[in-house]
Amino acid sequence: MAEHREETLFFQTLRRALGHPPNAARPAGDLFPAEPSAEERRLLARVSGRSEREREELVSRLAAAARPLHLEVQALDDLAAARDAVLRLVAEKSPEWGGEKQLVAWSHPLIESLGLAEPLARQGIPLHLTRPVDPALDAAAADEERRRQRSRIAASFIGITAADFCLAETATVVLRNRPGEPRSVALLPSIHVALVPRSRILADMKELFALLRWEERFRTEGLSNYLSFISGPSKTADIEATMVHGAHGPREMVVFLVPG
Amino acid sequence: MDTVTLFVPCLMDAFRPEAAEAVVAVFKRLGFAVHCPAEQTCCGQPAFNAGYRNEARTAARRFLRLFGDAEAICCPSGSCVAMVRHHVPALFDGEPDWRALALRTAARTFEFTEYLVDVLGRDDLGASFPGRVTYHDSCHLLRGLGVREQPRRLLRRVRGLELVEMKNPDCCCGFGGAFSVKYPDISTALVADKVEWIRESGAEAVVGADLGCLLHIEGALRRKGLGVRALHIAQVLAGGR
Amino acid sequence: MSAIRTDRYVEEARRGIADPVLRRALAGLQERFGRGTAEAYRRLPEGPGLRQTAHAIREKAIAHLDILLERLARRIRENGGEVFFAATAEEAVAHCAGIARRLGVKIAVKGKSMVTEEIGLNAALAAHGVEVVETDLGEYIVQLAGETPSHIIAPAIHKTRNEIADLFAQHLGIPRTTDPPRLTHAARRALREKFLAADMGISGVNLACAETGHISTVSNEGNIRMATTLARVHVAFMGMERIVARLDEYEIILRLLCRGASVQDIGTYVSFIGGPRRPGESDGPEEFHLVVVDNGRSRMLADPRFREMLCCIRCAACLNVCPVYGRIGGHAYGFAYSGPVGAVVTPLLTGIRRGRDLCLGETLCGACKDACSMDIDLPRMLLELRAILAEGDPGWGVEPSGGLERQVWKLWEGLVSRPALYERALQAGAVLQRLLPRTPAGWIRRLPPPFSGWTKSRDFPPVAAEPFRRRFAKRRKEADRG
Ligand code: SF4
Repeated sequence: MAEHREETLFFQTLRRALGHPPNAARPAGDLFPAEPSAEERRLLARVSGRSEREREELVSRLAAAARPLHLEVQALDDLAAARDAVLRLVAEKSPEWGGEKQLVAWSHPLIESLGLAEPLARQGIPLHLTRPVDPALDAAAADEERRRQRSRIAASFIGITAADFCLAETATVVLRNRPGEPRSVALLPSIHVALVPRSRILADMKELFALLRWEERFRTEGLSNYLSFISGPSKTADIEATMVHGAHGPREMVVFLVPG
Repeated sequence: MDTVTLFVPCLMDAFRPEAAEAVVAVFKRLGFAVHCPAEQTCCGQPAFNAGYRNEARTAARRFLRLFGDAEAICCPSGSCVAMVRHHVPALFDGEPDWRALALRTAARTFEFTEYLVDVLGRDDLGASFPGRVTYHDSCHLLRGLGVREQPRRLLRRVRGLELVEMKNPDCCCGFGGAFSVKYPDISTALVADKVEWIRESGAEAVVGADLGCLLHIEGALRRKGLGVRALHIAQVLAGGR
Repeated sequence: MSAIRTDRYVEEARRGIADPVLRRALAGLQERFGRGTAEAYRRLPEGPGLRQTAHAIREKAIAHLDILLERLARRIRENGGEVFFAATAEEAVAHCAGIARRLGVKIAVKGKSMVTEEIGLNAALAAHGVEVVETDLGEYIVQLAGETPSHIIAPAIHKTRNEIADLFAQHLGIPRTTDPPRLTHAARRALREKFLAADMGISGVNLACAETGHISTVSNEGNIRMATTLARVHVAFMGMERIVARLDEYEIILRLLCRGASVQDIGTYVSFIGGPRRPGESDGPEEFHLVVVDNGRSRMLADPRFREMLCCIRCAACLNVCPVYGRIGGHAYGFAYSGPVGAVVTPLLTGIRRGRDLCLGETLCGACKDACSMDIDLPRMLLELRAILAEGDPGWGVEPSGGLERQVWKLWEGLVSRPALYERALQAGAVLQRLLPRTPAGWIRRLPPPFSGWTKSRDFPPVAAEPFRRRFAKRRKEADRG
């Protein structure tokens, strides 16, 4: 059922070009299978049966893939170590656009469990948590809230996210977006810190897509309306093919592997 | 005695008969009887590449009539063989009898170096040729027929010959048939680089397996006044003894 | 539609060839990417044969395009997005202008997108009073210079750091510098302001996935992510063929895309967009529009000779190996698409007769086919285009060629059909060539038109006094006698 005249015409032309009757929508046949293929079953089994040792191996593959991408990967023993690592970054780095040091982080249980608020408060460094926009707000108030959040994100020099997955093969952090987990936290600050629970390390995109397609736990949410793969800091080679990091997005990116 | 039927590229016939004679000499040395239909002219490639398929078909039909019965057809040109192997059958898509004949003929048509190395299993032909040479990969031989190593293997076994690789040996020389005349500026830009790479290699001769490219390269070498020769590989392999 | 200048191929090519800076830049690019891509294909776990697999995936998608596009549109609409199907460039552009007008858009930030170049979006939006800012650094440079991109992936490959230094000093008011990191940083700062101020973000689509109902974009800079995250409305344009059925198929195409485009395992940012932001989310666009563009593609689809071209994902790998592109640069091709992909797709989109030099101005060396991430047989299609030019094709509105050229080939046909006559023609040539200026070795220095192009820069070989077949026959006779 087409909504517009243009659309009807478009599909008529298309079907005619394909050699089919112009007005009848065709059935999908087996284009979108309802069952995982043998290959996907194998992938799912590989993920669910992955041993500790195999996971460790993925960690070294991840580190190897990250190196040429200027992506720093730190494997940390516990949350306290992760907190200290963040605090070290805060101490060492300075804001790219001037102004005081501020941080922004998703309101995400893993990030909140780091306990960053207190030590940062002691140093007088603001930590903004990106709360979901309250659905009870009217349109104008919601707009105001979004604007406020965006200016805080833009003013922060470090943005902290928690990855849904991490792909060892390509050193890719996978983020799905949800309320309270805005995409610009991984985009506007100069340094992007992504926390990755070890259990969320996968070998590659094939495994990820098999999970997103077939594993009940992940399938319902699917890709969400905005799924991103991020493999290192932003870069460009558009001026005489010289590689420069920090084109538009973060110029530095750090992955902290944490237990869990 | 084994017989091979020689399909002589029209350019070689007209512009470099010595190269065709060298092919004959190589086969004689290997103990082959060489058969060469006197009526042959052209397989149709130039017209086909220019888009004139009807004219190309006329030539292709003649070619198939003349060569259709031969047991093994050998041609010292990658682009002619690519034409016979890939394009001639396609030219007869609507004519099943001709198409069948084209496919049969295609299956028995081989490029010279491919025939020597892959079919006959020979790479040492007992040739000698003093000097340093570099090999130019012709586009249709390399990418159309997948022949890269065969000519190099043959050259490496030639006594006294030193094979050096130029930069980008597989980059097009800019010949392209009518292209070289119709788009002289682009064609010239290409061959100028080729000539430069040949010069840089320090070779005394550039060797190839397709006469179109070789004449083009040689024309540029000569205009530049460089003393590097351009030789068909058969001319090298027929050397010595 | 953006301006079509395919009829200036020869002149523009000459200009490119004469530009040493461009030549050097292109040589460097081809050196790095050309060889690197071949190597990257070889290193694929599935081997280089994955290109054939990808080709089959794309062919299947094209054969089911109606079903896939319906599914994509349905899913996006379910997720709160809007989809518009545009038959022509004009419809696509007008739709976007309509959105801009309705929302009072003043600034639009744009990610690199070939299809928007094709349909001439920027000029049309500018005519509606919208400031359109290209945000890919290369595109930004080209836009500041008032030029058009010369390479699909490296749009500013023809600009030197010195030229960029002048441009930035003039337009961004920074002290002149030729240091790429500093120049990049200046653009970063200027564009960040634009991103934060923009009302509309515009992007292309690298590939859509029908099953999940997502489009996806790939970039290294992060500009597309910025453009599609911060503005109030995101309008994405896609050529109607840029889709596959499923995620597992998507995965294969994406890996090849990144290798073909820039010898990467994966681009820095790959984003899958299925709709606007959802309730409770604090960023992402309020409205998401997908514009699916036909603009001549259904014509290619209907012609079995050219349907294969719709497998193209505009990765630009073919540009990075093409010897002709490497000498003349992208501007010669006179339209959004350059290099081998442009030589085939541009005449099909904008007129075969008008783009005849694009069809004929290559050597058919075949490097593009071997480099193509989707294993598309570009040389085959160039040959088909040449056949259409010679023999005419009412479906494509092309008359058969006439005049001298046709007569030359008729003459050739007559000669190759009559060996005796052919032989006599060679003999005549061997005699007549003595009238031409020659080198001491007998090579011809100057040929008369229409062959004079050759001898502009090359000597022409003399016809042998005795061609091979005559020698062979003579010897045979002697042998028989003796
Ligand atoms: S033709 Fe092939 S190599 Fe060229 S842009 Fe298209 S997909 Fe890439």
